[in-house]
Amino acid sequence: MKRIKGMSLFVGRLWSHKQGKIGLIMVSVLILVAVFAPFIAPFNPYDVSERTTKGLAPSAKHWLGTTINTGQDIFSMLVYGTRVSLVVGVTSGVCIAIVGSILGVMAGYIGGFVDTLLMRIVDIMLVIPTLPLVIVLTNVLGRDFWIIILIFVALGWTGLARTIRSLVLVLKNSNYVKAAELAGASRWHIMIRHILPGTSHLVIMSTALSSAGIMVAEAGLSFLGLGDPTAISWGKMLADAQSGGALLFGAWWWILAPGLGIFLAVFSFMRLGIVMEEMANPRMKQTSGVYKLFRSLDSSYVEDVLNSMDDYQQIGVGRPLEKGGATHGTNLEA
Amino acid sequence: MREILRMNNVSVHFPVKGGLPFLKRGVIQAVSDVSLTIAHGETYGIVGESGCGKTTLANAMIGMVKPTSGEVLFAGKDLLRLPKEEFKKARQKMQMIFQDPFSSLNPRFNVYQIVSEPMFIRGEDDQEAMIARVVELLELVGLSSEDLYRYPSDFSGGQRQRLGIARAISLNPSFLVCDEPVSALDVSIHAQILNLLVMIQEQMKLTYVFISHNLADVKNICDRMAVMYLGKVMESGSSDRIFKRPLHPYTQALLAAVLDTTFDEKREQIILQGDIPSPIDPPLGCRFWQRCPQAMEGCKTIPPEHLEVEDDHVVACHLVHGFPAVELPDGYDRPVESLKK
Amino acid sequence: MEPILKLRNLKVVFPTNFGLIRAVESVDLDIGDRECVALVGESGCGKSVTSQSVMRLIESPPAVTRVDAIEFAGRDIKDYGPKQMQEIRGKEMSMIFQDAMTSLNPVMTVGNQIDEMYRRHQGDSKKAARQKTVRALELIGLPEPTARANSFPHELSGGMRQRVLLAMAFACMPKLIIADEPTTALDVTIQAQVLKTLRGMQRGCGTSLLLVTHDLSVVASIADTVYVMYSGKIVEKAPVKDLFTAPQHPYTVGLMAAVPRLTDEKRKFTQIPGAVPHPARKPSGCYFHPRCDYATAECKKEMPPLVKSGADREVRCFHPLTAGGRQ
Repeated sequence: MKRIKGMSLFVGRLWSHKQGKIGLIMVSVLILVAVFAPFIAPFNPYDVSERTTKGLAPSAKHWLGTTINTGQDIFSMLVYGTRVSLVVGVTSGVCIAIVGSILGVMAGYIGGFVDTLLMRIVDIMLVIPTLPLVIVLTNVLGRDFWIIILIFVALGWTGLARTIRSLVLVLKNSNYVKAAELAGASRWHIMIRHILPGTSHLVIMSTALSSAGIMVAEAGLSFLGLGDPTAISWGKMLADAQSGGALLFGAWWWILAPGLGIFLAVFSFMRLGIVMEEMANPRMKQTSGVYKLFRSLDSSYVEDVLNSMDDYQQIGVGRPLEKGGATHGTNLEA
Repeated sequence: MREILRMNNVSVHFPVKGGLPFLKRGVIQAVSDVSLTIAHGETYGIVGESGCGKTTLANAMIGMVKPTSGEVLFAGKDLLRLPKEEFKKARQKMQMIFQDPFSSLNPRFNVYQIVSEPMFIRGEDDQEAMIARVVELLELVGLSSEDLYRYPSDFSGGQRQRLGIARAISLNPSFLVCDEPVSALDVSIHAQILNLLVMIQEQMKLTYVFISHNLADVKNICDRMAVMYLGKVMESGSSDRIFKRPLHPYTQALLAAVLDTTFDEKREQIILQGDIPSPIDPPLGCRFWQRCPQAMEGCKTIPPEHLEVEDDHVVACHLVHGFPAVELPDGYDRPVESLKK
Repeated sequence: MEPILKLRNLKVVFPTNFGLIRAVESVDLDIGDRECVALVGESGCGKSVTSQSVMRLIESPPAVTRVDAIEFAGRDIKDYGPKQMQEIRGKEMSMIFQDAMTSLNPVMTVGNQIDEMYRRHQGDSKKAARQKTVRALELIGLPEPTARANSFPHELSGGMRQRVLLAMAFACMPKLIIADEPTTALDVTIQAQVLKTLRGMQRGCGTSLLLVTHDLSVVASIADTVYVMYSGKIVEKAPVKDLFTAPQHPYTVGLMAAVPRLTDEKRKFTQIPGAVPHPARKPSGCYFHPRCDYATAECKKEMPPLVKSGADREVRCFHPLTAGGRQ
């Protein structure tokens, strides 16, 4: 019950933020498209049997035309591609958040040998060049959808684990944890009540940001031909466009469509992540909305306040009492 | 005198790692060889400058830090030798009030959650009884039941400190460590919190350990006290006697350094030379000799003994007791030249 | 005595989420030649904002600042641009902050940082600058000044760092030094050392000093004239001796009584009830009236003016205390 209230409060705060609202709307649209792909897509994107419709330009029937070599409907492919991007991105993002925070909390809270071991592993992982490793791994383990997610998670948890660890170290040494310990709290109690809630904003934020990052990475992999060969993803569409001669025949829509898909998906998740980061760390805000609010206020209000500060008796100008009382009590919220 | 806490030769050392693997590892002697007894219902002051080990000493009292050697007896029981469950139970009788009222309250908890947490930990689950108890505590510390569901960020420093006090006394402790409870607060709030502490002590028959660097606070609130410097107790005993007749040069200097608001242009100040040395390699003899205006050659190497000069007034200084009559180096009683500038 | 600094009618407001923060409300300040003026008050009373406004360090926006005049050494600097202010800062007016660790550059030796002052403002060569630096460090009482000049800030203790800041502030013999809580972060015995040095340097160099602090005991030991601020307004101004022997504003009286003294009675602490008002929600009338024992209906309605109440004294109160009791 409490959890649900907290969640809706969180979404509410996102919604009240202009950038957050944009992110939320875009992400919701993407999710809807992915879920209802079969109802939205006018054609079967896997259908390569339509020999007659090869290489059509955008038209009322085929909104984004068809592919040159196989005659698939590009719009339908775009819609179905959302599924792969979102599922790979969000699943990996969530898994990274889970693995990273568990390992980070372990390292920070248990400390000692566990901490040293985990942090050495992180150090080693950070210096391994990712792309060659991914290429090797996909070749060895196969290119199944889940294997790709697994690889992303295996390589992606390190950064989050490290930040969570340092945050846990700070929280662990805070005085309120000390007070709880004095009252006889178990380590479990401290972990559940104080440490984990303290890291939650970081975990949620990193989920959004790493999802965005992984969507780009997945597109890159598919483009290199290292993705799941049976699935339709935006990266693979790009690769097909290139090998199918989209540039040669001037079929710009074929390239633009998946490119735009990748851009929008990444953009919306990044927005969400950045807004969450700002909410967690208000100092990141530059000239804030407050200043804009202040500017938009009638500037005579500020003048009134400034004038009300004068020692009127000293200057010898009388001032009616009612007005004086009113200006002293007001503030921006009024 | 019914004692509640006794420390016998307690030392707390922390290892420090050198920057490189082959560098010698040093040891911070945060507290070394401290013995003291605290009686039921009294206020025991610990005074000293930063780095003198007063907070570490307090942490050792309540079992938050394990002494390297020595023993801590709370109500006659050696805390660290107790089985875990009994240790936890014994320690619920000891609570702490922290210096910084901002970092000592979880910003995500509301007032009810903060104050009821110790009861919750103890396993209480009657929500209504807990709310009633929290309201009672809030009223005791000068807040009201309207504040129950507000968050720490809504409160001023003084009010937060009140919340910290409410949390600390929620389990009816008998022993309360106040770690500089007012030094982060504004002057005008200062007295409010001290008065509250005095009132609570009288009402709940508490024993206080009052850590401070402000001698005036200590004088006015403490019955007995210890003056610490670099991990060692320099002078201890009844605070009335110490303030009436400070014998250790460090205590004298501290007292002289208290700037007063009673305006007197001719007041003499003893201004100590130099800085507080690092506790990593403390001097061999008296820990204070490098800054002592009356240091003698012998002070450099011979540690002074803790001897009682009058009832409940112990001083560790060669100036007071003279050097022990064993194997004294030549010229031990010459003043240290380098300090006589 | 012609004042070195004449601040007239300074007002500063900040917009925040809680409303408009009225940080400084119409503050006048006079600092005489070779005088040490203390600005005392609790946190949030606007004392730091006032001192930083003198240095023109308050960023606007977000702050909105209004001032009739900032006359410094005979000229009005209120409309000076950033370039002109840079000329003045460090050379004619310098500042000492509370936290020495953050006001020193951690990757430069302290010697180099002081050298910089001489080289920028006096056009000295590297060698000449270093000579002056070493002399300055010696003057300030740092042991082994030549060696210390080559240390980095983290290698020095808190007291030594504060001394380095003093050396830097006094480097170009400025006409005015603003010290914002210069000894608050230091230990009692070190505080006494640094205050003595500060006082000695100020007298020796013939500098004026604006000391911003919350600590009345610091004020008692070094100031000449004291301004007491409460919630953005000056409530009392007096020569230090008069202020401590016969405070007139109830707030000053309360503040002095609240400082624990060695001579106080045991286990009884004189307290001022209530708390400082939030700077966006100040009470009507006199800002101190909700906490004042002597408040009357008049105090609730009107802000009392700052009136002359003796030789060199001013007080903002309808019912100021006098030596012989209430007026």
